[in-house]
Amino acid sequence: MNQEASLRRSRAIGKGLTYFFLITGSLIMIFPFVWMILTSLKTLSESMQIPPTILPAKPVFENFTYAVTSLPFVNLYINTIVLIFFRVLCAIAFSSMAGYAFAKLRFRGKGLLFGLVLVQMMMPSQIFIIPQYQMLASLSLTNTLFALVFPGLVSAFGTFFLRQSYLGIPNEIGEAAYLDGCNQWQTFTKVMAPLTGNSVAALTIFTAVFAYADLMWPLVVNTDINMMTLSSGLATLKGQFTTNYPVLMAGSLLAMIPMLILYLFFQKQFVEGIAMTGGK
Amino acid sequence: MFKKQTLAEKREQRWAYLMIAPTIIGLLVLNYYPLFDTIRLSFSRTQTFGKSTFNGIENYVTMFSTPEFWKATWNTIWFCILTVPVGIAIALLVAVMLNAKVKFKSGFRAIYFLPMVVAPAAVAMVWRWMFNGQYGIINTILGKPINWLTDPKTAVIACAIVAIWSALGYDAVLLMSGLQNISKTYYEAADIDGASRVRQFFSITLPMISPTLFVTLIMRLMASLKVYDLIYMMIDTSNPVLPDVQSLMYLFYREAFVAGNKGYASAICIWTIALIGIVTAVQFVGQKKWVNYEV
Amino acid sequence: MKKFLRMVSLGLATVMAVGLTACGGGSKSPDGTITMQIWDTAQRDGMQALADAYHEQNPDVTVEIQVTSWDEYWTKLEAAATSNTLPDVFWMHTNYILQYADNGMLADLTDLYADESATYYTDHYSDVSISNASGSDGKIYGVPKDKDTVGLVYNKEMFDAANIAYPDETWTWDTLVEASQAIYDATGKYGYMAYADDQLGYWNFVYQNGGYILNEDKTAAGFDVPETIEAMKFYIGLQSYDWCPDQNYFAETAPGNAFFSEQGAMFLEGDWNIMSEMKNYPEMQGKWDVAVLPSSPDGGRATISNGLCYATSANNQNNEVVLDFLRFLGSEEGQRIQGESGAAIPAYEGLEETWITAFDQFDYDLNLDAFIEMFDYSVQSVNDKSRPNWKSKVTDELLKIYGGSVDIDTGLANINQIINDAIADAA
Repeated sequence: MNQEASLRRSRAIGKGLTYFFLITGSLIMIFPFVWMILTSLKTLSESMQIPPTILPAKPVFENFTYAVTSLPFVNLYINTIVLIFFRVLCAIAFSSMAGYAFAKLRFRGKGLLFGLVLVQMMMPSQIFIIPQYQMLASLSLTNTLFALVFPGLVSAFGTFFLRQSYLGIPNEIGEAAYLDGCNQWQTFTKVMAPLTGNSVAALTIFTAVFAYADLMWPLVVNTDINMMTLSSGLATLKGQFTTNYPVLMAGSLLAMIPMLILYLFFQKQFVEGIAMTGGK
Repeated sequence: MFKKQTLAEKREQRWAYLMIAPTIIGLLVLNYYPLFDTIRLSFSRTQTFGKSTFNGIENYVTMFSTPEFWKATWNTIWFCILTVPVGIAIALLVAVMLNAKVKFKSGFRAIYFLPMVVAPAAVAMVWRWMFNGQYGIINTILGKPINWLTDPKTAVIACAIVAIWSALGYDAVLLMSGLQNISKTYYEAADIDGASRVRQFFSITLPMISPTLFVTLIMRLMASLKVYDLIYMMIDTSNPVLPDVQSLMYLFYREAFVAGNKGYASAICIWTIALIGIVTAVQFVGQKKWVNYEV
Repeated sequence: MKKFLRMVSLGLATVMAVGLTACGGGSKSPDGTITMQIWDTAQRDGMQALADAYHEQNPDVTVEIQVTSWDEYWTKLEAAATSNTLPDVFWMHTNYILQYADNGMLADLTDLYADESATYYTDHYSDVSISNASGSDGKIYGVPKDKDTVGLVYNKEMFDAANIAYPDETWTWDTLVEASQAIYDATGKYGYMAYADDQLGYWNFVYQNGGYILNEDKTAAGFDVPETIEAMKFYIGLQSYDWCPDQNYFAETAPGNAFFSEQGAMFLEGDWNIMSEMKNYPEMQGKWDVAVLPSSPDGGRATISNGLCYATSANNQNNEVVLDFLRFLGSEEGQRIQGESGAAIPAYEGLEETWITAFDQFDYDLNLDAFIEMFDYSVQSVNDKSRPNWKSKVTDELLKIYGGSVDIDTGLANINQIINDAIADAA
């Protein structure tokens, strides 16, 4: 009896500790965003006061004006969205096909070919930049939206990821469809692919996040600032304003907005999507 | 060697090749051609505008005898040591807490996951600003003048903190998915036995979650060994601590794109890929000791 | 193999081409479109004005301006040169012109104005401007675009607070040190902010002192010359004063930002940044001004003068459409339009004033003549064919000296060695 009471007490302490850690952690996670907003509302002089002021003495909005006049944000939003859209489309289409084949079909050289997919995931992406740039340049395709999408036409990660989810579908389902007279393609498109909806949603989100984060490629392949994405636009802003943090923070906030809206809309899929990779 | 295939098998094989064709051709063109080119260049003396002549293993000889290279290798490994175990331990703690019955669970999740939707350039900027030795808010809070980004001892730590902060939510949610697969009955049984929560964590949670933990570990290790963007954005080339912080891929970037030493840079790159390969292979061998696939 | 890869990537391209043509901008210039690549966002409008003016006179030619940031500009330009896909017209910088020209990447523009006048370049451009646009063989590979000098920017309020006179042509290094100390004592703010930079830093001091970075025929470095060593020790030593922040500070805070947030009283700035600083710091207008650089203690004067030029690829040697546009860029009219945009001082002699009039839009006058006066004793920006190869390595070594991991004598000897090795390697 006594033991149970002490157990209950230690559980209560545990609960309290859990909340304490979660809330402290949340504060640490959210603080940089708060500081970003506060800094963006200060003048450069105020931002460099010692000791720093927490709240801006008098909020100013000029920093947003400088950011907007330096970067064509509307174009950047559109390019980023187009980039994400096509990279996601390609990743889903090609990776679904390949993932299905690797998971469910028998063919010679499967191990070797799948090895190609796995090894690609170990390569640092910097080595691709110059050769890929030269391929596009020789086709006169730099400074286009196609150029932005180009490195993401196929996705090794997507193939690996969707193969995992096809492996999770029992073979009997495919065999039944086959006996019903479907050919391999119909079995894939009509029966198997629809069963991977969750993983496809997850892959969508992964691809979107990685495409959004891609910094070097858009900078190198597209010289025209009107053809850049938000991430590379921000890097350009930094080149211009060096360490003028109020302007940089204003630009960062403006760049965050579209992703933040998407995130709030798709939060559930986002979280569940990531949970999918944990599967065996 | 091959068995003779039946007609149906042949048809299946034809479909398979068709379906993997775009991906495999894409990988060959987009990734493997550059890889082989990098391998070739690593055995060449390169000049500007693509001229190169074969020079055997000279780049590798130079590389292995350059202290800067070994320093960068150590910096990369040190960065992994700082980010991977600590990052995953914190992520696991957060995952376990968020998996318990807590209020505002989805709110907490949203907050911990927020950094992933911010462009890395923006993440680096705001942290650089907070870490600023003169005007930074972090020193104000701590009440100590620490030169976070310009002292060789703290610069890597500052970069590691940012790396952990950015990846925390991602790792935590990944681990949560593993936690949710553990059947409640194990814990109920343990409760009846009167086992404490801490004990339950080590005897039930940890073994059961080990496969997910392994996936997280591999992904985080690969990313950390390839680190470049983050350090590039946190540490300027005008920063005297650069040699104490630069990772292998940062060194690659500076040699290939700034100094124009493509051949030497390619050798660094091949070494990095080899290092990732070795570390990954060791992990796959080592997993047999601790990863529990029985469930 | 290359051909196969090309076909495959073309195949991949067509897979998506249909979906993208609707929204993607075509890139291969249709006839009559000239692409012009630049790296400075602040000069975009000025370049656009040139493009518009040219289009007005030649309605069938459209010029498209493309801006990218400095680092990526060179990564990309090299890749483009390697794959033979250079843009039609692009800016060239003294750091790189010898590398590009000597490797046959640029069209020889020596005879661009042959029909007009055999001495067009020497009539209208200074020797420094022409050599900034020339290859090692003495031929001209670019149409001079602008020229610049480095001046001393100072905060008037801080000088007033310390009750000392503003900088002028009587200043020497000693005055610079004394004034910095006085300002620090009176206001607690930094004095002259001396940071690890070449063009906006130690180069000026080395040449003022009679030293040099590269010798006359660019065959050896000058870091073993006593005058150079003396100037380097003076310049690097400035950071040991209380009134100068150390290199750690500058790694986190650009000197310009420190100046315009009123943390420091002086720093060296190039004229090409003045316009955007006027625009970006409206609350600072009226509080600062510019002066000529101080001289060395025995009166040696120098300022580094760099100049950009417009170049085109060797493939365009006979492309009259591109050549005609280049001719326009180097004409009096083209240079005037550029000057009036305020971005940079035109290289064309006699048009310096156009740059100054661009500042009439502001309510108070800066002493912009200081930048123009200094052309009398300006020194050509340091360059040689191997500069891209030694530039970053010299910076690394310099940072080691600042960081204290190498003593100054060893460090300077190392820098000398690095440059000489690079020169030997490129020969």
